[in-house]
Amino acid sequence: MEKAFLVHNEVVYTYEKLLAVLSNKENYSSYLYVKDNHPYEVFLAIIHSLLFDYPIELLDGDFSEKEIGELGLHVKDVLMITKMAEPSHFIHFDEILQKIQAIEKWHITLYTSGTTGRPKKVSHSFQSITRNVKKHTKLENDVWAYAYNPTHMAGLQVFFQALLNQNTLIYVFGEPMKWVPELIEKYGVTNISATSTFYRNVLPYLQEDIYSTIKRVTFGGEKFDTVLEGKLKSIFPNAKMTNVYASTEAGSLFAAQGDTFEIREEHLQFVKITTEQELCIHESLLRQSNSLVSNDMWFHTGDLIEMIDETHFKFLSRRSDMINVGGYKVNPLEVEHLLIQVPGVIDILVKSKKNSVTGELLVADVIKNDEVDEKELKKEIKQFATTHLQEWKVPRIIKFVDKLPSTRTGKKVRK
Amino acid sequence: MDKLLDIINEMREEAGNNTIEALASSMDLREDLHLDSLMLAELTVRLEDEFDVDIFEDGIVQTIGEIIVKIEGK
Repeated sequence: MEKAFLVHNEVVYTYEKLLAVLSNKENYSSYLYVKDNHPYEVFLAIIHSLLFDYPIELLDGDFSEKEIGELGLHVKDVLMITKMAEPSHFIHFDEILQKIQAIEKWHITLYTSGTTGRPKKVSHSFQSITRNVKKHTKLENDVWAYAYNPTHMAGLQVFFQALLNQNTLIYVFGEPMKWVPELIEKYGVTNISATSTFYRNVLPYLQEDIYSTIKRVTFGGEKFDTVLEGKLKSIFPNAKMTNVYASTEAGSLFAAQGDTFEIREEHLQFVKITTEQELCIHESLLRQSNSLVSNDMWFHTGDLIEMIDETHFKFLSRRSDMINVGGYKVNPLEVEHLLIQVPGVIDILVKSKKNSVTGELLVADVIKNDEVDEKELKKEIKQFATTHLQEWKVPRIIKFVDKLPSTRTGKKVRK
Repeated sequence: MDKLLDIINEMREEAGNNTIEALASSMDLREDLHLDSLMLAELTVRLEDEFDVDIFEDGIVQTIGEIIVKIEGK
């Protein structure tokens, strides 16, 4: 059977077809702005830019015209296409890999997804964006469940990992979760890389079975959830679990087993922590990014961490996520991490509610299991919280919802 | 007053406390109903959701009667 490059919405795109389309492509654009971020079109455009060595700028297909304007761009420029000078013919995928080796002008530009403030522009060279890609013959038959937005950093990391090993991508981002078990079985998925939010929401559809083909499960983008890891281990008994710290600005930098990240020795001098426990990364680890680095050449990540020893740290929270309840600082992730253990809770989002008494107050949106009574569950969540947490960390008002809002990258939105 | 009683009882119930039979205007929020600042914050948010009025907007509210005035006078 011809090896699939991508499976999306029941359509199989083979490597053969990819080569044919790349050979016959008559025009191109240096901007990528694809409606609904159709993954095949996104990937095709990126590969094309690599083959013909021109820079490409990725715009999230979810951006509105207004948002495009706010980035200082015009939609008409973004949609402008250039005709190819002459056609090329590619017969073997290896030709593509060879051409990629020789690129000079190519770089990829994307925008940070920052939930607050204007998105920032960041450019990466091929070397910086593929810094953590592992290429090996034993990885040739990997099949990836692709659970990220393809126009953002995490998605690109998975894309390059898969492309350079000529793997198959099974697109599951934004698709109904109930399809996931069937897709894993049908295509023999071996690797999944996703946010904790994704895993939590797909879990109810997976937990009846065991999926032995999965050999690696990667977490990224959010605080690692050890309880979730435990649940996934029983569903994916053969999987090694890894946790990745990556950002749009720096690409993928640290990997972890469990929740403890390791700073590689060669990176040690480029990483520091402020007195407020914020992780800072020296600009030499970032590539070609504009307006990110302050005068002292250290990029403040906005991530609060706890150093375990000189080369290991744990992620605590996003700086902007901290909530101030009557003068007490609360890390909503800590509360979520605890309350997700209450039986009947599938996922939980703890956020702030402004009020004139304590400034902010914790409230929670909860996705619950269908079998549990709302009133009872509210009581149990509060009881559990009261037993395990200081009183200002107890979410006072609990609402049940079908879905939690998430950013374009699939992380929870706390505002 | 009935709606206010419902809201207070909902809070009490969720927190694992007994419900109360009736409210009186003279009841003191802190002395009689034993609401601490976090509970008052919770009550404020719940009342704001229901009646669209911030009872603590312009200072301290002591009694049930004062809440009623705020809700009715909005």
